[in-house]
This record gives sequence, C-alpha cells and structure tokens, in this order.
Amino acid sequence: MFERDLRRRAASTPRRTGLLAAALLAALAGTAAAPALAQETIKIGAPLALTGGLADEGHKQDLVWKMWVEKVNAAGGLAVGDKKMKVELIEYDYQSEGQRASQLAEKLINDDKVQFLFAPFGSGHTKIVGGVGERYQVPTIACVASSESVFDQSLKHLFGTLSPNGGMTTAMVKMFKEKFPDTKTIAVLGRDDVFPKSMAEGIAKAAEAQGLTVAYKELYPVGTMDHAAALSSIKAAKPDWIYVSGYTQDLILARKQMQDLGVTAPIVTMVTGPSYKEFTEGLGKLADGITSSSWWHHATNYTGQGVWPTTADFYKDFQAKTKGADPDYVHGSCAAAGEVIAEALKRTGSLDKAKLRDAIASTDIQTFYGPIKFGPTGMNLPRELPIIQVQDETIKVLAPADIKNAELIAMPK
Amino acid sequence: MAIYSQILANGLMLGALYACLAVGFSLVWGVLNVINMLHGSFIILGGYLTWFAWHGWGIHPIVMLPVVGALLFALGFALQKLVINRVVSAPVLTTLTLTFGLDMILYNVMTYWFTATPRRVQLDLGAVSLGPVTLPVDRLVGTALALVLTLALYAVMRGSNIGRAIVAVRMDRSAAELMGIRTERIYAITFGIGALMAGVAGVVFASVFPITTNVTGTYLGKAFVVCVVGGLGSVPGALVGGLVLGLVESLAGHWFGPQQAITAGFVLMLAILLTRPTGLVGVRGYE
Repeated sequence: MFERDLRRRAASTPRRTGLLAAALLAALAGTAAAPALAQETIKIGAPLALTGGLADEGHKQDLVWKMWVEKVNAAGGLAVGDKKMKVELIEYDYQSEGQRASQLAEKLINDDKVQFLFAPFGSGHTKIVGGVGERYQVPTIACVASSESVFDQSLKHLFGTLSPNGGMTTAMVKMFKEKFPDTKTIAVLGRDDVFPKSMAEGIAKAAEAQGLTVAYKELYPVGTMDHAAALSSIKAAKPDWIYVSGYTQDLILARKQMQDLGVTAPIVTMVTGPSYKEFTEGLGKLADGITSSSWWHHATNYTGQGVWPTTADFYKDFQAKTKGADPDYVHGSCAAAGEVIAEALKRTGSLDKAKLRDAIASTDIQTFYGPIKFGPTGMNLPRELPIIQVQDETIKVLAPADIKNAELIAMPK
Repeated sequence: MAIYSQILANGLMLGALYACLAVGFSLVWGVLNVINMLHGSFIILGGYLTWFAWHGWGIHPIVMLPVVGALLFALGFALQKLVINRVVSAPVLTTLTLTFGLDMILYNVMTYWFTATPRRVQLDLGAVSLGPVTLPVDRLVGTALALVLTLALYAVMRGSNIGRAIVAVRMDRSAAELMGIRTERIYAITFGIGALMAGVAGVVFASVFPITTNVTGTYLGKAFVVCVVGGLGSVPGALVGGLVLGLVESLAGHWFGPQQAITAGFVLMLAILLTRPTGLVGVRGYE
C-alpha cells in the first residue's frame, strides 16, 4: 500500500512541476495583459453573501447593483473625463463567512484587477473587506454599515453611504416624548451583536439624557431561541416604552412572545424590524403599532444626479424589476453607492487610484437616496432619518416633517 | 412569587419543545453512533413544508403532521440506505464529516429555494390565564404535541418488534445480527425515525418560532446540549434533558439577565459531563 503510494507520488511529480510552470506562465501573461484590459471597462468587485445566513441581504445588493450597471451601460457607460467607459460588476459568493469575504476581496483586487470594491452587508463584514481594500489602496464603498466603530479605524479608502446610527436615537426620544408626554420609563432589550448592541446602548443613553428612566436594559446573545424570561421581567417593570433591537427573526419572535405573554406598552419600537418587508409579512396584524427608524424610505422625495434622478424613478424601476415589491433602505443605499463612483470618475477623468480616492473623499452630491457627503471618517454625514410606524400592516412615515404621512398612534391593546 | 410561577411555566413549555427537538438526534446518536449534523436542517425542512402548505393552500399544521413525518422518514431512510450505510461502521469522525457535508448541501439548497427570509405560520391562538400565569395556547399545544410524540416514540421503542430490534442493535450489533436482525435495515429505519421526529418538531415549531435556515445551527447546538444533559440514546433522556435545560435557561435569564441564559445551559452541560457522564437518566456505555 505504502509502496504503491510512493510510486504514484513519484509519477506525479514531473507532471506537477509542468503544471506549476504553466500556471506561472499564465500568471505572467495575465499581469502583462491586465493594464490593456483595464482600460476598456471600469471593474467593480463585490464579495457578496449569496448563500448562508446573510443570503437575503446579499441578494438585495446583487439585485440593485445589477440594475444600476444595466442602466449605466445602456446609456453608454460612465463618463471618465470626456470619454465613456462601460462598467463591469464582478461578484463572488463569500457564503456569509467573514474569512472567505477577505480572501475573495483579495482575489478581486489581485486577479480581477478591480478599480473599486463594494462592501457586503453588515458592519462586521464591511470592516473585513474595508481592511483588504485599505491594504491594496482600492476605494471601497460600503452601503450597509452604520456602526461608527467600522469607520473610526482610520481606513482611508473606506466610504459608507449610511449615516451614523447615532442619528436614529436622539430624534426618536424627542419626538415620542413630545407626542406622548406621559412617557417616563423605557425598557431596552438588545441583541449582543455590533449594530443591534450599539442601537440598544444608544437609545438608553439618549433616553436618560432626555430625562427618561431606563427601567430594564439587557442584551440577549446571538442564538437566543426564546425571549420569555426577558419579556416576563419587562412586564414586571411596566415601562411606557419598550425598545427591542435585533434582526428580523429575533424581532418576529419577540413580538409574538410579547403578544403571548401579554407584554405591552403605549410605544413599542423594534429596530430594524419594520424597515424590512419580511418583518411585516411575518407578523401580519401583530406588526401594527410598532415604530422604528430607518436610513431611507421610498416615500422620501429626493432629486439628484445619476441614472435615477428622483426617488420616484428608482421606485418605478424597482417595482418593474421585482414585479411590485417595495425597496427598503438596503436597496436604496446600495443603488446610490454606484453614483459615488460615477461622480469620482467624472471629476478626475482618470483611473488613478490615489486621485479617485481623493475625489471620493470630497464627494458632495444629491441623489434619489438623499445627499451623500462623507465626513472625516468616511461616513455619510448625519441627517434627519425617517421614523416609521406600521399602521394597518403598511409602513407610515412619522418624521421628518417634509415626508411625514401619518401621526404616531399608541400600540393597539 | 407570581413572576416565578410564570418563569417556571415558561421554562417547562420551552423545555418540552427542546425535548421534541432533540429526541430524534439522541436516537440516531445512541443507536447508530452517528452524530447527525443534518438534524437542524431537517427541522427547518419540516417547518418550511408546513409553512408552504399553510401559506399556499391553507392547510392547518396539524394536518401536515403525518404528511411531513412520512416525507422526512422517507428522506432519512433513503439517505441512510444509499449514503450513510456505506460508512456507518467507520469511526465517528467519518460519519460526522459525511453528515456535515450533506447538511451543507441541504442547508444551501433550502436557502437557495426558500431564501433565508424568516417566515411564520400565523395561527396566533391567543393565551389563557391561570391566576398570575399566562400560557400561550400555541406553546401549550406545542408542549402537548411534543410530549405525545415523545411518548409515542417511547411506546414504539418498547412495544413493537421494530422498536425491540432497534434496542437490540443498540445493545450489541453482532449479537443482533446472529439473531437474524437485518442491521442495515434497522439503521435505515432508525435514521428515518430520527428524521421523522425532526420533521414533526419542525411542524410544531412552525407556529411558535420564525422559520429560517439561519437557525439550523442553533437547533443542532440545542440538541447536543439536551442529549448530554439527559443522556444519549434514550427517549426519557431527551425528555428530561429538554425540560431541565428549559428550566435552567428560563431561571438564569431571569436571575442573571438573558445574556447569561445560554451560558447557564452550557455550564450545566459541563457540570453533568464532569459528574455524570452518562447524563441524568442515560444508560451506561453511552457516555
């Protein structure tokens, strides 16, 4: 057995060396040919979670980026100075595994020679891909990362189109106190994960700063199957406002168990629950009355540059593409991320990485998604973010005033 | 005091669901010595079948119970017969790797077809109050079903020829073969029953928890803990393990905050491993 193995190994060695040489040659040829190819198209690389736990979010990004590329190329491509260049989007599935996202980002930069990267969903994976982009000095646009802890790492090539999530807490406390002056206590239950945790801590801080008492504040770990214990404790605390942060499956479960255990309050907020249609679809009537905040809503009405001049234009295209689905903030923010690249290419008129990076840093544009202007850390500047509420199983906008289409109502009993 | 009765009730109801989740896993591990990494995905598959039947054709989950059970049994039986039986007597790491690979296929196929969107069977049966204790009706029904199914499995294992054959194979494979038991077939039937129990757990879960492929790993992890706490390979073991875990998590969640609830479950598991490696009601030789 051992002998046969040895013989096989010996036989395969020359072949392997041959293969290696061929691979080396191919690699050399590849590098020689790359600059010539790179001139023909603008390449944007995207490591995406198309399978695994984040697949839903990955597919959203995939959908709008393809819509954007199609629309750009149909119009002849992106302007680089005075000539037009077509855009090529290169996507790889990183299967929702951070480690693989980093490997694929390297592959996109080294093998596919992309000029830009789009970061995947979520603060955690954005941080990983942003780190790779930084190492190779490739500008990376993140459209679904809102935690400041991603952008304060002095990554000079990472830019995010979402505003800091701090903008979601202070305004909300102020508005709810104004509308329901009897609101004195709040109970906070947050998922122990980058974004939901920062929201839970943010709201508790904002509430205390504005004179509310935090009657209960706990985190629940990733992988929690049951909220009964936490909700029973919250029920005993009798708060005026219950605030739960987490991802859709956590929040559906929490809302259902609140109903089951008779836990309620005049105001119930779930972040980011109602920003996703899956939340309202999963809960049906139980979703009614739940408030939330979001980075963007399709009821907003912004006008700007790019392939979709107005929010309505984007909404119309999106509905046509998806046979009637409503876009959420992930769709909006990611579709707008392309415009950042378009603008930088137009202004620099070159494919020089350093020039492009500087041009992106000084972005100051209006889009259908809203203004995009990056602060010193590379995050889109704070703005008034929509506060929303589910009423009759549809999403209503409570604030800001210029797009408001409903008043805050108390949770149905 | 009122809060404690509520927390105990929460713990018992959750514990019965845990038992239902783990019993099939425990059986397969105990009899086949196969750590079935597919178990979590089987539960979710059962949940999806229930959801689609309910959402598409308005079929009540109770009606789906036998249908899903039969489908999952067939799937489990075929998998064991055609694939796993080829390596079933290999060291446990081989079968673990095999079921791990199969799980990746099943998991990703489900994510591809159904997407990871959390879905829910909206029965919303309301709740009943017993003094200060609120009992959600769907959890009560789930608890009852979990107990009935677990006891039914116990009865089958003790009372039927197949059940006795399974127990015989578990005790001594060679002796069972000498007695004329076709062990390969018993293996396939056992794996089929394991999948069936996962499937019906999925039906019960579909109206209690959101169904999404994201939680397959969580379910598998719970099954592990329940088996270690209760004891491997025995139906009463899964039941005791589930109930104890449910109670411990519920009380820990109240005393130390929900952040520590899962930790408490694992601490319990470690303590049992150190003091009673066979589990609370486990059989000797199956630690």
